[in-house]
Amino acid sequence: MARSSKIHVGLEIGTSKTCIVVGEVKPDTAVKILGIGTTKTAGVRKGEIYDFPQASACLKDALVKAEDASDVEIGSVYLAITGSHIQGINSRGTFRLPEGQSIVAPEHVEEARTIARDIHIPQDHVHLHPIIRRYLLDDLEHKTSPVGLYGKTVEADFHIVHGIGNRIQNSIALVRKALLEVDDIVFSPIATAQMALDHEQRERGALVIDIGGGTTDYALYLDGAIAASGCIPVGGDHLTNDIHLVTGLPFSKSEKLKIMEGDASADPARSVGVAKLVDDRGFAEVEVRRSMLNEIIRQRLEETLRLVRQRLPEGSVEAIGAGIFLTGGTSLMRGFGELAFEVFGRDIYRPEPPEISGVQASFKDPQYATAIGLIRYAQILETERFAPPGLFGKITRLFWPFGK
Amino acid sequence: MIPYHRELQLTIPSSAVKIIGLGGAGANMLERLALDGTEGAALLAINTDARTLAACVAGEKIQLGRNLTKGLGAGGDPELGRQAMLEAEAEIRASLRGNRIVFLCAGLGGGTGSGAAPVITRIAREEGAFVVVFASMPFAFEGRRRRDQADTTLNELAVLANALVTFDNNRMGELVLAKQGIHEAFSAADRMICESIKAVIRLVIRPGLINIGLDDLMSALRTNRSRCLFGSGMAKGKDRATSALRNALSSPLLDQGALLKEAQTVLVHLSGGEDLTLYEVELLMQRLQKFVPESAHVLFGAVIDPAMGDNLSVTLISALPEDSLAAAPRDSGNSVTENSDMPDHHPAATPESSLDPQLTPPSAAKSRRSTSQAADADGVSPFSAEHRVADPGPPPLPTEEVPVEPSPDPTASPAADPSDLSETPSPFGQPVVFKPIKRGQVAATPSWETPMPLEDAVPQKATRLSAGIDAEPEAAATLDPVTPAPVAESGPPKLKLGIKSPALQNELAFEAVPRGRFEGQAPTVVDGEDLDLPPFLRKKK
Repeated sequence: MARSSKIHVGLEIGTSKTCIVVGEVKPDTAVKILGIGTTKTAGVRKGEIYDFPQASACLKDALVKAEDASDVEIGSVYLAITGSHIQGINSRGTFRLPEGQSIVAPEHVEEARTIARDIHIPQDHVHLHPIIRRYLLDDLEHKTSPVGLYGKTVEADFHIVHGIGNRIQNSIALVRKALLEVDDIVFSPIATAQMALDHEQRERGALVIDIGGGTTDYALYLDGAIAASGCIPVGGDHLTNDIHLVTGLPFSKSEKLKIMEGDASADPARSVGVAKLVDDRGFAEVEVRRSMLNEIIRQRLEETLRLVRQRLPEGSVEAIGAGIFLTGGTSLMRGFGELAFEVFGRDIYRPEPPEISGVQASFKDPQYATAIGLIRYAQILETERFAPPGLFGKITRLFWPFGK
Repeated sequence: MIPYHRELQLTIPSSAVKIIGLGGAGANMLERLALDGTEGAALLAINTDARTLAACVAGEKIQLGRNLTKGLGAGGDPELGRQAMLEAEAEIRASLRGNRIVFLCAGLGGGTGSGAAPVITRIAREEGAFVVVFASMPFAFEGRRRRDQADTTLNELAVLANALVTFDNNRMGELVLAKQGIHEAFSAADRMICESIKAVIRLVIRPGLINIGLDDLMSALRTNRSRCLFGSGMAKGKDRATSALRNALSSPLLDQGALLKEAQTVLVHLSGGEDLTLYEVELLMQRLQKFVPESAHVLFGAVIDPAMGDNLSVTLISALPEDSLAAAPRDSGNSVTENSDMPDHHPAATPESSLDPQLTPPSAAKSRRSTSQAADADGVSPFSAEHRVADPGPPPLPTEEVPVEPSPDPTASPAADPSDLSETPSPFGQPVVFKPIKRGQVAATPSWETPMPLEDAVPQKATRLSAGIDAEPEAAATLDPVTPAPVAESGPPKLKLGIKSPALQNELAFEAVPRGRFEGQAPTVVDGEDLDLPPFLRKKK
């Protein structure tokens, strides 16, 4: 369907930074980044907003920067949400065609879908994404809807992402306060996966781990469909906090030390001697033994990765064919690839820290992966929607924006 | 301005400066110097081994012990080295005549270096020269004997030489990453010494705008029996004053600037190209003030050397009398790493620190290992050894006899200190020494007969205690779980066991765990573990 290029905006309110990415989707489905606006976030911890006015101010700041950079007036965004309360589970709905009918009709598929989504989720949770993984028609897998095919039993495998409704509403309210509309809410790792994985990698099986400032989000793809997703509320802030608690150094120095001298691999040759922080303003330098610093960092990261591994379904790590993709600011830690290899035993793909400046570079910068992924997600959503919802549809979406 | 060229006669002629490389290590240093080019000094290589001598690139060569060792080396025997040197004494004297400054580079611990160095120094002093000795100490893995030989020689040199700069090979790990090739490490060490020598040569040879001469050098190093502190750094480009100073202070010979706090005279020498500005000089000196005590006498010299181009080099020379060198790192270490977060995790530190004033300072200072080792051998050992262990906390490196890291560990393992200390393997029999203290403290409370409630109430302490039990083989088993506990909890929260007064049973006082950034927030509990606490602390069992 030929369309003029559309502009999508992705917004991610993270623990360490808030970033808005404005992207243009060309008719040939190529995505071009027009501009990025980012600020350091205050008021968000472990992925959840705890100081509303501050977060709002940061959002407005990022908004202004993004509008400046891209020369676009932003009216609505795709919002990425994360938080430890968000969980993803798989569920399957089975529907047996009534007697006499052997051709699958759309309403049969709908039935199967409804049954699949009718799983027990906690009281205060709402559905975020019901993502179809695959269909089965008489135990034979089908990638796309089996409407029009012959069969007896239709099964729909869904990956349901759900989270606490009120917290999600709060995030949306925050965005509304900045006079923006929310086109859709996306669970962060799913957005990141749109950006980090291509079709082939999803087929072979891949795991995306996004370790940001406050949270570690993961999404596992097997056989082209999402198999697991979730969020662990441990992030780069925890690393800095660890260093701060164990060594007694102030938080800001711990942060600098972590970035400049930290190393997560257990390489003994890199843990020799003392790591020093020189202060240009003439304050006393701080010194920490490298072995201790690296041990602190390594233990924290190792624990986090093991938690991710625990949460994945049985045997899925062995089924990962393509490898593990690490993104997020914390994934820039030196030696993290080796550590991840130890925990998972799979090929590790890491983003390279950008050396060139400019918008092109930020495309590869792991810190912006989620926000850029939102644009891709938006593009995919657009192509899946055969017709944009009418005016009435838009209004209902305003009041009930949670999936269909 | 009318340009006017300084007369060359005003400078010290190059014939008056001699750099001697003694022994194998000395020959390496000399090669480095020759490679980098030394104008204004003559190079002299002295060795017993004829082959090394032949391969050396020095201008002048003297072979020691032609008849005694017959062209072979001294074989690691300093006595042989000394004899060989005495054989060639007349030759050397003739060569050193007329020299005003002599730099002697030697690697101590072997035969030629250790044996001949004091003799050459003496000869040079007798000929009226100012002698600066650069000595490198052997690696720890080379063994005790070489270390002792090196120490003996060092002591002799300290008396004989005008200035003595020691470089400890164990600190080579600071110069380069341990992963790099070994030749890189050695060449980095050589380069550092080379830089130092050239800096001193530059200092005394060329007269500068603000002049420093031999007399200033001598006054800076006036204290007899002193160890010389030396730092030199070079930088170019923007902000070169700060970078050069930083490089100079980061030199291992200066222990990162901490030792300067004790210095009483400091000699600062700047050398730059034509574009050296007053602003840079002021900036540098101001920054230096932070490291040097107020009462110190700062001798400042500057020279414009067109050959420097746009480099700026700063040289710091100072001296510390021997005993203050020992005390200094402890103080600097404690002040930098004072850790208010964990007073309860160093309970054993309090008994040890009370021993401080009594000790003649053996310590973990880098160039002081000689004396400490000597003291250990003497029989001051129990205290010094014990003290050393309490020093930066149990060093995690396996080489126990020579604690390597110069700057003390900010926090040693915060948990399980008593058991660590009693478990530390040591050739000096520390567990034996520790027992009297523990027993003495415990003797006051022998009435606690029931370890059971204690163990139930404090399961984590039991793990510590069990470690302690293993290390104290002959202790009465029932008393053991109880006895170290009071030592471990040297602070106020004493445990009251229910046996004594059943009516008033106090609760076990848990101090709130600091949570840093996540203070006041609900803990994130996964699988029974609070994820907000560092795994480093949680897993420290």
